[in-house]
Amino acid sequence: MSTQVDDIVARTPTPPKQSTGGGSFAGFVHRNTQLAGIVIVIAVLVVVFQIGNPIFLSFPNLMELLRSGTLYFIIACPATIVLVSGGMDFSIGAVFAAGGVSAGMMMVAGVPWPLAVLGGIVIGALIGVLNASLSVYLKVPPLIATLGVFFAVGGAITVITTGTTVYGFPSAFTDLGQGYLLGVPFAVYYAVIVGIVFWVLLEKTELGYNARAVGGNRAAALANGIRVSRHDLIVYGLAGAVTAFAGILAASRLSSADPAAGGTSLTFQVVTAVIIGGTSLFGGIGTIGGSALGALLFATINNGLAVINVNSLWQNIFVGTILVVAVAIDQARRRRQFRSRR
Amino acid sequence: MTDITTAEPALELRGVSKRFGQVVALDDIDLSAYPGEILAIVGDNGAGKSTLIKVISAVHRQDQGQVLIDGSEVSHFSPSDARESGIATVFQDLALVECLDVSTNMFIGQLPKRGWFVDRKRMDRETRQFLDELNVTVKDIHTQIGMLSGGQRQIIAIARAVRAGARTVLLDEPTAALGVRETRHAAEMITSLRDAGKAVIIVSHDMEFVFSYADRVQVMRLGRVAGVRRVSETTRDEVIALITGTKRENAA
Repeated sequence: MSTQVDDIVARTPTPPKQSTGGGSFAGFVHRNTQLAGIVIVIAVLVVVFQIGNPIFLSFPNLMELLRSGTLYFIIACPATIVLVSGGMDFSIGAVFAAGGVSAGMMMVAGVPWPLAVLGGIVIGALIGVLNASLSVYLKVPPLIATLGVFFAVGGAITVITTGTTVYGFPSAFTDLGQGYLLGVPFAVYYAVIVGIVFWVLLEKTELGYNARAVGGNRAAALANGIRVSRHDLIVYGLAGAVTAFAGILAASRLSSADPAAGGTSLTFQVVTAVIIGGTSLFGGIGTIGGSALGALLFATINNGLAVINVNSLWQNIFVGTILVVAVAIDQARRRRQFRSRR
Repeated sequence: MTDITTAEPALELRGVSKRFGQVVALDDIDLSAYPGEILAIVGDNGAGKSTLIKVISAVHRQDQGQVLIDGSEVSHFSPSDARESGIATVFQDLALVECLDVSTNMFIGQLPKRGWFVDRKRMDRETRQFLDELNVTVKDIHTQIGMLSGGQRQIIAIARAVRAGARTVLLDEPTAALGVRETRHAAEMITSLRDAGKAVIIVSHDMEFVFSYADRVQVMRLGRVAGVRRVSETTRDEVIALITGTKRENAA
């Protein structure tokens, strides 16, 4: 017998050999189209903002830009894995606030700060696990489950704090978010570490491969022995933990934890950054690098519009447009790539 | 072919029933699949073929009855348990992940690891080696499944199913939506599985295919076994009569 699948190659527009790319051939296509688009958009914006105000490219402003970008990026990393796994997390804003407020209240109550930070992260992880449990065990679609958790947790925080800001943290804690090393804010280093960890997770580990399989075809993943429910619990738990960590960092930087921090705007900005970065809303496809660019784009628009004194409301118009364009590109690419679907 | 009446079935079902609420999907089903034999399961829509395959692959759990592998009863709790006991299933629609490449698809659910990391090199090497053994030529194993045609996907899916050394291979509609040439390729692979001593079970609507390649045919009707025949000793008319219920008999 000789079963030739010789035209596999004939049909494929011979992609450049990419031996290191692993399961990220999809990511490779991305980086060449959508991500190049983001880079160009960012470059154009940089030029425009620099012409608008020469302060834009100054070192202190760039550091400020990076620092605000890190906030989105740190949260975007686990959110990328959630979306690649075919999920959605709208609870981000509330988990962010829950992390800062719970760690803050623990410190105010006299808990040593390292324990308080850990406690805040654990609370975030538990909320994440709750998200996953609702969709895994009660079969509530992730979009609704996490939206419900967003409101419930947000409400709980307001009730517990009576809506007042939590403050009075030890300086060892506030230094975490306010310190600089070699002129670069600590936050940027945290973001680099989180970014590398999540890149490795998504591209090199079983968790990442499973994420693409579960997001790409949930039924196939299940039939092939991936423990899909367990995967969801881990991924959402991770997202909760890291989002809470970002909230704690923000509390550290501001020396206070605002129960109203995060909210819908952070939720939508992070999800939008991830999607603009080329992660498919329908699962399976996405990269950490793309999300980094998405977050950078957000930070650039935020910062630049402020620097050139344009009403920040323009930001939303920009972002809305870019989001729709990004998803349109994603759809077109899916149609092209999977045109041969039987 | 060996005399199947003396050989021990690689897979056997005894009195298996499965209910979904009020609907009886499978009612007291017996089935025997022997090594080195292709058993075709045919039947109209709703005859219980898909449920049967899902019970064997442990996607569903039977309400009553036994599943035996090599003569001893097994209880599968998950699809991976079934696979570990030597049953590989190629589902019609849930076989492959389109956005992943050929190499990764071969190892979904059983990724080789080096320490904390997935051993990508080993995955690629073993994929190439394994496809070579099956005489399947794929020049770039980093091609996404979504870029392949239906026939190519089917061949990759079958290759993956047998990769882990399964002794029983279940195929759900292996030729659905395949062209003539692709059907022949898939058939060659299926035949070679039989020749390699696997027990092959195919669920198919394609009578042409069943009569060309299967050794025995088991007809399902309304959740029951309507009859079992050796392909060499039956006719298409008889099988169709069993499928439609114009000819009846007790379960063979």
